Amino acid sequence: MQRYLAFQIFRYAAILAALAVTLVPILWMVSMAFKPVGEWQATGAALTWIPKAPTLDNFRFIFGQSSSALIVALDKTAAMPIVSSLLSATIGTAIAMSAGTAAAYGLSRFGSGQNLPLALIQLRLFPPMAVMIPVMMMWAFLNIMDTWWGLALIYGIVTLPFAFWLMKTFFDDMPREIEEAALVEGCSRARVFWRITLPMMRAPLAAAALFVFILNWSDYLIALLLTSRNWVTIPVYMTSLSSSMTGQLYGAKAALGLIAAVPPVVLGILIQRHLVRGLTFGALKQ
Amino acid sequence: MSAAETLHDVAPMSPGKEAARLGFRLTLPAQILVLFISLFPLLMQLYISLTDWSPLAGTSWPQAWAMWNTFANYTDLIGDDRLWAALGRTGFIMAVCVPVEFLLGLGLATLFADDFPGKRVAYSILIMPMMVVPAVAGYMFYMLFQSGGPVNDLLAHLTGAPVTVAWLSSPTLALAAVMVADIWQWTPLMFLILLSGLVGVPEDQMKAATLLGANAWQRFLTIALPRMKAIMVIAVAIRVIECFKIFDTLYIMTGGGPGVATETISVYIYKITTGDLIWGYVAAIALAILVVLSVACLWAMRRLAK
Repeated sequence: MQRYLAFQIFRYAAILAALAVTLVPILWMVSMAFKPVGEWQATGAALTWIPKAPTLDNFRFIFGQSSSALIVALDKTAAMPIVSSLLSATIGTAIAMSAGTAAAYGLSRFGSGQNLPLALIQLRLFPPMAVMIPVMMMWAFLNIMDTWWGLALIYGIVTLPFAFWLMKTFFDDMPREIEEAALVEGCSRARVFWRITLPMMRAPLAAAALFVFILNWSDYLIALLLTSRNWVTIPVYMTSLSSSMTGQLYGAKAALGLIAAVPPVVLGILIQRHLVRGLTFGALKQ
Repeated sequence: MSAAETLHDVAPMSPGKEAARLGFRLTLPAQILVLFISLFPLLMQLYISLTDWSPLAGTSWPQAWAMWNTFANYTDLIGDDRLWAALGRTGFIMAVCVPVEFLLGLGLATLFADDFPGKRVAYSILIMPMMVVPAVAGYMFYMLFQSGGPVNDLLAHLTGAPVTVAWLSSPTLALAAVMVADIWQWTPLMFLILLSGLVGVPEDQMKAATLLGANAWQRFLTIALPRMKAIMVIAVAIRVIECFKIFDTLYIMTGGGPGVATETISVYIYKITTGDLIWGYVAAIALAILVVLSVACLWAMRRLAK
């Protein structure tokens, strides 16, 4: 009994410590996002963990309303980068999910595309940096540099492995009796896929799509290389938020960071059940 | 028996040809995308890696043959100390971060193996870091490690004396700081995967072992561990692959600096791609990495298959 109690105390202490370490960096950014300019870089005794005078100025500032305390003027607000991130991540997800789902079904049911599983894992294995030069040359040739559709295309390809593998394991797990019954009834195979399988798979499809969206939304390196001015995404825009006069715009960056961090965290908690399957290419099912 | 054959058996009314044609059509878009992103880039990369071409060369890349230098880029690569240093640094980060993440993740997972009040909330919070956009995580740790920042503030509270360590401008401390950020963000991934493996261990076996007098440590070693082997290999493999690519958090925290103190292979390639613009040489490095990784991957898969 005593040992059991000791274990419980140790467990709670260890978990609390882990929670603290997990939360401090996040809370510091949240706190920074609501700090007025004067508290951004306060150090020593003046350092504040919780803003003394919480304000929404940082959010107003990145959307173009200059705050009285900040003499810097933004030549570009956060609105377009947010639109760019949303558009490229969403359409990229649509590309990955449609190509990935179709191919996964083709392989799972008809054994087509036997080369795909390995080819797609290899695609994931290589550092993106090692293929970015030819991609930049191709994108320049296709005239899709610095556009959201150019970004969406590469996102669709980069996350295709995840979409394919996730959907493949979902299709493999799905019982086939209903499909077979429909085939006996005289339905064509294409119709079975479109009218029966896909509607039945609505929940797994949504989970996989959200997972792929998180990955696309999280990109930094690709957008850094493929966009320059008109269609920079949130992370690329965030790094530009500093000026020669004032240095780092700490609060403004934190406000934008908060905006960028919220969607994936919320979506991630929503699809918690499927995270392990997604992250391990379907090798593990929770 | 493959899936196609199974379907054929139960539905003899529709010919197998229909299935094959549909299967081909369904996989076609994915095949095209894979071909598009592997064939062209590889050929272009191979071509310009044999030349001195650069986007500043004044000619378009198809004319790069005018700057043909045969294998000069590849021989340069062997003597490129900065490249080898970057590779070594990437290996060092991997060798420290992956084991630390693994052990912390495994430790946390064992604490979560059975139910306790507050488990769900604690679990949801603990896996949050890996969902934070890596670039944003990089900025978080950039703020934390400022010399007047919260890390030093906490240390000052602990030691009772003011601490003004300039974490990100000291070569050794900057390297430590980027590793802390990596461990913060990716320990949750290890935790998540290892926990799902631990939960999969059959409970009756554990109970039987308890009845036979095995203590918790023995149960873990003899029953849980052998069953989790495959899952551990997967978790570590995923982190090794991703850690090799490390860029976002690190580049935002230090930009590879101070000097080249935190310059990893991705950061090095990024810098010579956008700064020095010697694309012929970059292509040679990139191709060399692709070849080495492919060989390593094949070797690893052969060994795993055994």
